[in-house]
Amino acid sequence: VTGPSPRVQLAAVFRKEVRQTVRDRRIMFMLVAAPMIQTVIFGFAVDFDVDRVPAVVVDGDRSAESRGHARRLLADGTLLRSGAARSVAEAEHEVDDGRAAAVVVLPRGLGADLLAGRAAEVQVILDGTDPNRATVASGAVSRYFGEVGESLARERLLAAGVRPPAQVEVVPRIAYNPGLETPPFMIPGIAAMLLLIVTTIVTAMGLSREREMGTLEQVLVTPIRPLLLLVGKMAPFVVIGLVDVALLMAAGTWIFGVPLRGNLLTLLAGTLLYLMTTLGVGLLISTLSTTQQQSFLGGFLFTMPAILLSGVMTPIRAMPGWLQAITWVNPVRYYVEVMRTTLLRGAGFAELWPQLLALAILGGSILATATLRFHKRIG
Amino acid sequence: MTPKERIRRSLVRIGAMAAKETLHIQRDPRTLYLALGMPVVMLFLFGYGVSFDLERIPLAVADRDRTEESRALVDAVTAARELERVAEVPAERADELFRRNRALAVLVVPEGYGRDVARGERTRVQLLVDGADSVSANQVLAKVDALVRAETRRLSGPGLADRAPPLRVQVWTRYNPEGRSALFMVPGLAAYVLAISAVLLTALTIAGEWERGSMEQLFAAPVGRLEIVLGKLLPYVVLGMIELQLVLAFGTVAFDLPVRGSAVLLFSIGFFFLAGMLGQGLLISVVAKNQLVATQAGALSALLPSLLLSGMVFPIGNMPLPLQLLSRIVPARYFVHALRGLLLKGNGLDVLWPDLVALVAFVVVIVGLATARFQRRLA
Repeated sequence: VTGPSPRVQLAAVFRKEVRQTVRDRRIMFMLVAAPMIQTVIFGFAVDFDVDRVPAVVVDGDRSAESRGHARRLLADGTLLRSGAARSVAEAEHEVDDGRAAAVVVLPRGLGADLLAGRAAEVQVILDGTDPNRATVASGAVSRYFGEVGESLARERLLAAGVRPPAQVEVVPRIAYNPGLETPPFMIPGIAAMLLLIVTTIVTAMGLSREREMGTLEQVLVTPIRPLLLLVGKMAPFVVIGLVDVALLMAAGTWIFGVPLRGNLLTLLAGTLLYLMTTLGVGLLISTLSTTQQQSFLGGFLFTMPAILLSGVMTPIRAMPGWLQAITWVNPVRYYVEVMRTTLLRGAGFAELWPQLLALAILGGSILATATLRFHKRIG
Repeated sequence: MTPKERIRRSLVRIGAMAAKETLHIQRDPRTLYLALGMPVVMLFLFGYGVSFDLERIPLAVADRDRTEESRALVDAVTAARELERVAEVPAERADELFRRNRALAVLVVPEGYGRDVARGERTRVQLLVDGADSVSANQVLAKVDALVRAETRRLSGPGLADRAPPLRVQVWTRYNPEGRSALFMVPGLAAYVLAISAVLLTALTIAGEWERGSMEQLFAAPVGRLEIVLGKLLPYVVLGMIELQLVLAFGTVAFDLPVRGSAVLLFSIGFFFLAGMLGQGLLISVVAKNQLVATQAGALSALLPSLLLSGMVFPIGNMPLPLQLLSRIVPARYFVHALRGLLLKGNGLDVLWPDLVALVAFVVVIVGLATARFQRRLA
């Protein structure tokens, strides 16, 4: 029996899927508008810069020198005076209650000691709950008083007629992102995250839903080949995914200044291969579950670790070795690398072929497994 | 009927609803295992995997001087395990290394470095940094700066190094003296995984009843709307409390998380947080009427806000004002703050009451909304 040609079959399924998806306004909102809104909101939320750390200065000296040190210490904006305390105990209470994260204690006699060339000690008490903030705050205090101490030491050496020793200075030159801003780095990661959530879970649940409602069996008795059915079902999501990426990148460039430095064809290839893996995982999950609820939980079981182990939030280099090994099979990792390296570092196929190859291998094997399982389930 | 009798009967009906929902849960043990197992597995993975502390940062070296002094500097910088020399390259090839993700920075030692050091002059070395990832870039800058400073001190000979610096800064870090990322991240992660699993558990319950057509039957039964909502919530609250204990027990055992505050307060705050997140899932379920829409709404409203607006990773104080206001309706924000205060600082109700009040208010509003929307649906 010769049915309609594959092209006709494919077009029919594609038309049906597009109609079904577009008809539900709420789904379209979730698929297109929601990722866009979220990118804009979270683009503003992500900022690793630590400044304005609430700090209390306990000035035990109350001299012109100690007041000058306190003022110059706070001048660069890393620490922000959040309150006053007369004693160390009072200041510690501020830290306990979360009103201050750092206490700088200037001891009695600080000004006189420094003028007389006697050793002095400044105490810093930090709220260590956020180690990053604590490091930055202690760094700011140490740097300031380190410089004060060094220049005092040099003055004293010069006064004693000794030649001061050599000094090596580090001049940083920062490539790609001179202001070290967070959004240009995070927006590509957020885009990859949203694309994953939207495509994987929608595919997984869409198929489970058809199975629950019994419409999958109805379609399967028509002369369509199961493979074409799958391709036709996924095609609209590929289109939606590409539209999403284009929108997110437009928002990223216009609002957050994400640069577009590299080869956009590489980015397109990466996006297509990535969608192949996310849709493939969705399909695989749907073949493993019987209800929409199971599909959904399965989708989450995949997306959550995939996001947190992708390098989007925290660097992969900071993970222990065994977790780094797991990230080798994480498609999100490769796509985030492709996005960031093309957009920010201006790379192309020459540098990114390993990531693209990895995505192709992962996508191919996931899709193949999923298709086989799908055939078995309906066969 | 006396008011007392009315309350008793209402409680019986809520109990009946809860028993029905418990049967639903029992019938699908796969979902139950996922719900109980998922948070613990996630906490395990993320507790180890989510860290910003880079070790063995790949550093390339461009030594243009090639003298004994320049080699000594390079050795001093790469002697500790923190920075690892990966390549010896001319500075022009830095871009290529960055694009291929082989190095995070290139240390350029200029010609004449050895001569300047020998003469005791001020001299400069350049550090090219891949600024795409601002967090990693900042770490590289800070580490290289500290190591070069140490080298300067060594160069200045025993004369200056042995002399006690006139100004010392003594840093005392409270609550987390070793600055472990895990102590900061695990309370946040606990809130995150609980938020997600709670919303997911309930997001599908009512949407599923609508899709299966059993909702009309439920309405025909002599049960009030609020009774349905509370009855549906009850078993999940019990599940959630078990989850909370599992997660906290796991955190204390695997990551040495201290519990310095009161356990009673911990569990009451946890109770209201869970009730709020379960209520949010229920509200989504009531509004969506369709499992696919419900999951997307649940995912987008729980997954990303709990991650990005809760203060778990990104400090809320750094966000623009509109987002700071938006974060006030994210329950995870209060729970993360309360958990850190309770576990690490040993705060009590005197400090944490605003968090508790906010969480209770969220529960009341969300259950009220779910009930109200429920009534309007039927009319």
